[in-house]
Amino acid sequence: MEKIYNSVIEALIFSSDDVISANEMIKAIKVIDGEEVQVSAGEIEEAIDFLNKNYEEQNLSFRILRIANGYLFATTKDYSKYVGYLSSEKSKRRLSQAAVETLSIIAYKQPITKPVIESIRGVNSDYILNTLLEKNLVTISGRAESVGRPLLYSTTEEFLKYFGLNKLSDLPKPREIEEIMNDEDFIEQKRKIMMNTLEDSMENEIRTDENADQT
Amino acid sequence: MYKIKLEHFEGPLDLLLFFIKRDELNIYDIPISKITKEFLEYVNLIKMLDLEVAGDFILMASTLMHIKVRMLLPREVDEKGEEIDPRAELVKALLEYKRYKEVSDDLAYMESNQRKLSFRGNFSADEKVAVPEYDTLLKNVTVYDLAKAFKHVLEGVKEEPVHQIQRLNITIDEQIEYIINLIETHDEVHFLTLVENMKEKIRIIVTFIALLELVKIGRIKLKESKRFNDFLLLKGDN
Repeated sequence: MEKIYNSVIEALIFSSDDVISANEMIKAIKVIDGEEVQVSAGEIEEAIDFLNKNYEEQNLSFRILRIANGYLFATTKDYSKYVGYLSSEKSKRRLSQAAVETLSIIAYKQPITKPVIESIRGVNSDYILNTLLEKNLVTISGRAESVGRPLLYSTTEEFLKYFGLNKLSDLPKPREIEEIMNDEDFIEQKRKIMMNTLEDSMENEIRTDENADQT
Repeated sequence: MYKIKLEHFEGPLDLLLFFIKRDELNIYDIPISKITKEFLEYVNLIKMLDLEVAGDFILMASTLMHIKVRMLLPREVDEKGEEIDPRAELVKALLEYKRYKEVSDDLAYMESNQRKLSFRGNFSADEKVAVPEYDTLLKNVTVYDLAKAFKHVLEGVKEEPVHQIQRLNITIDEQIEYIINLIETHDEVHFLTLVENMKEKIRIIVTFIALLELVKIGRIKLKESKRFNDFLLLKGDN
C-alpha cells in the first residue's frame, strides 16, 4: 500500500459520522483509484497503528478507536471532564446494575429467550429488557424453534460501541465455575469501578456548584 | 437496638450470594436451615415494601424450604447409585448467576471507561444523504423492525371522528304553546309524557325552561306524582 493511503484512511475516518468499516474504506479507495490498487484490511490496521502512534508522539487529544467492527475518532480520556461539560451525550445516566447484569447474560448466551434470562437471574426481567431494547443495546433477532416460538434477543452494534468493544469475542472471558470461588482479583476490579464512580460524582459536584453560582 | 440495613439486591440469587460471601460459607456445602431462616427474615421485610419484587423472593424461599425438607429425608439415588444432594441444583444456579454477575462488574468498568471518551460524529446537523444501493437497502433492518414499523403505521392511521351538528330551531315560545295546548286538552300531563317523543336534548331543555316560565307566570301548576322521578303538570289558576 502506498503511503498516501495513510492520509486517505485518516480522512475517511475523520469525515465519517459513525463507525466506518475497513471494507467501506477499501471500497471507496478502489472506486476512486481503480480496482488494481492493493489495499487489504490488514494494511488498514497497520495504517491505523501508524496514525495512532503519530498522534501519541505529537500528544494530540484524540485517537482512532477500533470499535463495533470499524473505526472511529474519539477524544482521549484525559479530556473527558472538559468535553463532558459541553456535551449532553455524556451526562446521560449510567446503566443500572440490573441492566448490566441482564446485558452480560444476553451478550454471552445470545441469541437467548426471555425465560432463559429470567431463570439465570431468578427475577422477572420484562422491564429491564424493554429498557435495553429502547436504548438499542439489544434487539430481537428472531424466534426460537422451541414450544411457543419465544422471541430471541441479541446485542447490537450500539452495545459494542457503548462498551468500547470491537467485536463480541473481545468481551471479557467469564471465569470457569471452579475459578469463581477465588475472589481476590475482583476486589481490585471493584476498587477501580469505585474510583471511576468517585470521579463522576466529583464532576457532578463541580457542575452543581457552578449552577449554584450562576443562579 | 436491633438495626437492619436494607441493601439493594437484584434478586433472590443475589441475596443468597451475599449471605454466602458475608458469612464465608462454602457454596458447595450451604447450611440450608441457617440460610433459609435469614432469607425468610429478609423476605418478610421486603414483603411490606414491594409485593411485586417479593414474589421472586417468596418463590426462592419456598425452594429453600423444599430443599431443607429433602435434606431431612433419606437421600434420593441417581441411576449410577450415587446420592443426589438436594442442594445441587441451587448451587448450580448460584454459580451460573455469579458468573454473569462478575462479568457485569467487568462490563460496568468498561462502561465507566468508555464514558470518558467522546466520539467524533457527535452531531446531527449534516446528515449523510446516501443514495440507497441494493445491498444496503436492508442494512441493520430485520423483519421485526419492519413488522414493528408496519404495526405502528397501522395503529397510527385512525380516522378522525367527524361530528355533524344539526342546528335545531326551537324557541321557548313554541314550547310554551305546545305545553299549553297539551294542558288544555288533557288537564293533567305527566312531565315524562310531555318529553316522551323528544329525541334531542336541546328540545327537552327548552321545554323545561318553557315549563318553568309557565309556572312563574302562573299559567300552570306542578304537583308531585306517584310515579318515581316524575311530576304532574296542571292547569294554572289564571
